[in-house]
Amino acid sequence: MARYASLYGLFLLQRFKVLLEYRLNFLIGASSTVFVQAAGIATLWVVMRQVPSLNGWSFDELLLVYGLLTASRSIEHMFADNLWTIGRQYIRSGGFDRFLVRPIDPLFHLLADRFNHDGIGNFVIGTLLVVSAWASLGIPLLPLYVLYAVLAVLSGGAIFIALNLLTATTAFWIVESVPVTRAVHEMHEFAKYPLSMYHKGIQAALTWLIPYGFASFYPASYLLGRDVGWLVWAGPAVALVLLLVAYRFWLFGLRHYSGTGS
Amino acid sequence: MSQNQPAIEVSHLRKVFHIPQRDPGLGGAVKALFRPRYAEKVAVDDISFSVPPGEIVGYIGVNGAGKSTTIKMLTGILAPTAGLVRVLGRDPHKERVANARQIGVVFGQRTQLWWDLALVESLNLIARIYEVEPKRYKELLEQFSYTLELGELLAKPVRQMSLGQKMRAELAATLIHEPRVVYLDEPTIGLDVVVKEKIRAFIKEQNRAKGTTVVLTTHDLGDIEELCSRVIIIDAGRVIYDGPLATIRERFGKYRGITFETARPLEHPLTLPPGAEVVGQEERRLELRFDRTRASASQVAAAVMGQLEVLDFSLSEPDLTSIVKQIYGGALSEARPV
Repeated sequence: MARYASLYGLFLLQRFKVLLEYRLNFLIGASSTVFVQAAGIATLWVVMRQVPSLNGWSFDELLLVYGLLTASRSIEHMFADNLWTIGRQYIRSGGFDRFLVRPIDPLFHLLADRFNHDGIGNFVIGTLLVVSAWASLGIPLLPLYVLYAVLAVLSGGAIFIALNLLTATTAFWIVESVPVTRAVHEMHEFAKYPLSMYHKGIQAALTWLIPYGFASFYPASYLLGRDVGWLVWAGPAVALVLLLVAYRFWLFGLRHYSGTGS
Repeated sequence: MSQNQPAIEVSHLRKVFHIPQRDPGLGGAVKALFRPRYAEKVAVDDISFSVPPGEIVGYIGVNGAGKSTTIKMLTGILAPTAGLVRVLGRDPHKERVANARQIGVVFGQRTQLWWDLALVESLNLIARIYEVEPKRYKELLEQFSYTLELGELLAKPVRQMSLGQKMRAELAATLIHEPRVVYLDEPTIGLDVVVKEKIRAFIKEQNRAKGTTVVLTTHDLGDIEELCSRVIIIDAGRVIYDGPLATIRERFGKYRGITFETARPLEHPLTLPPGAEVVGQEERRLELRFDRTRASASQVAAAVMGQLEVLDFSLSEPDLTSIVKQIYGGALSEARPV
């Protein structure tokens, strides 16, 4: 564990050295997401100018939901972006074999191989949104609440990563896994808004099937004192179970790969 | 591990791939989704050999013969369908991580270095991945910098390197953890003679100094002549020759080619010395081969020049690919070394 942590640190250091070499590229990448997010928030703001509340949620409350989701997603974006391109960049080219002849875990190697700085912008935006919504909503700055919010974002990030790991593993069979990953990943758009405004079926899907709800709606409800039951505490457990399932599936895919090769 | 244990042991190794089959068009794609059909492809049929520690073996065969599938099983990337593989006494697939510490692999033109990183940074990372002791790493880096002339390359990212520089960098990266078994897939392909020589010398030196076992796949007869005391030739997933290089050259390299450029097209059949025959003929080009144990190049050239006006001619050594073809084309029984 300590070995992997220090190795990750070294991978990260090398990555930043490269990024600093391409300073302009780094700045554009890290800030491009800011513009995308700004457009999303502007749309929300325009809508909320017309209707003061959406399904009983105020603009600031919606920003909290949006911010929690954005921060969660940024974790996947920063640390697990290579899952998107595993088929195209590693399996098709045979580059994945390189991981298998090294004495470290191939999944660790894949993830550590490329920290994606584009996610930094998302992380900053998400955090700023949560902080500003927190302030304007007058949520008390209790250690419990802060800890809860941090844990919620980490669990949300883990859910994003686990779902991408599940879908990226299909690359071992179909090579080009991006459409599968995208199909599932895009469902997170729903979770940018409170689940309570959707049909029961969609609510259930985003809670039990593709549980992005735990990255935004449930923790926001808890912080706002809205009663949605015990589910506000389920985020970390859901994340853990999903990670385990995804990792088992990954191992299964890996076994298939060693049977067939690329 | 005892001293007499082979570095590599392969026994009745077999690998069968199941290739999904589908009819063309959308209908085919849908049908394949619900009722997949598979065709069997035997990549490695039945291969057995054993390599003692410190040997350099040439592992050759035409494309598709099963070379890379064998190497993938030896490195632990692929699991065998049947048979046994042991590298330094370990099952490379089941004990993948333990095996990985002891082996080094150069995969043809695929780099194992990070494209954008300066070479020295890539080497630092690799040394950490393999947990090379820092003091030892420093020594090796110095050694390799000298023998592979890495000096000015250390600060260069791989993407800016020439093919020859890349291969030198690649070798340093592969050997920095002092593996006991090394697999080299086409290490000199596309390189000029000078770089080829450097690389061969480096491999030889590593083998001599550290007793590194080397499995080399190559199309380059020069690599084999300079490095390998033993050659294993495979075709269609089977070993068709396993023995010293000398025997192959004697038995299958006995033909040489000679090509003439003539002033006019050939009009009547040539009279040639025994052992020589025409193998190809174009407008004003004539290709012959002759058995050098029966005729000399000058005899053949003189015979042709006496019958035709020759503008130019050239001699060629048989390349390994044609030897492999020859062996496959029925000369198998001759090939067994005594």
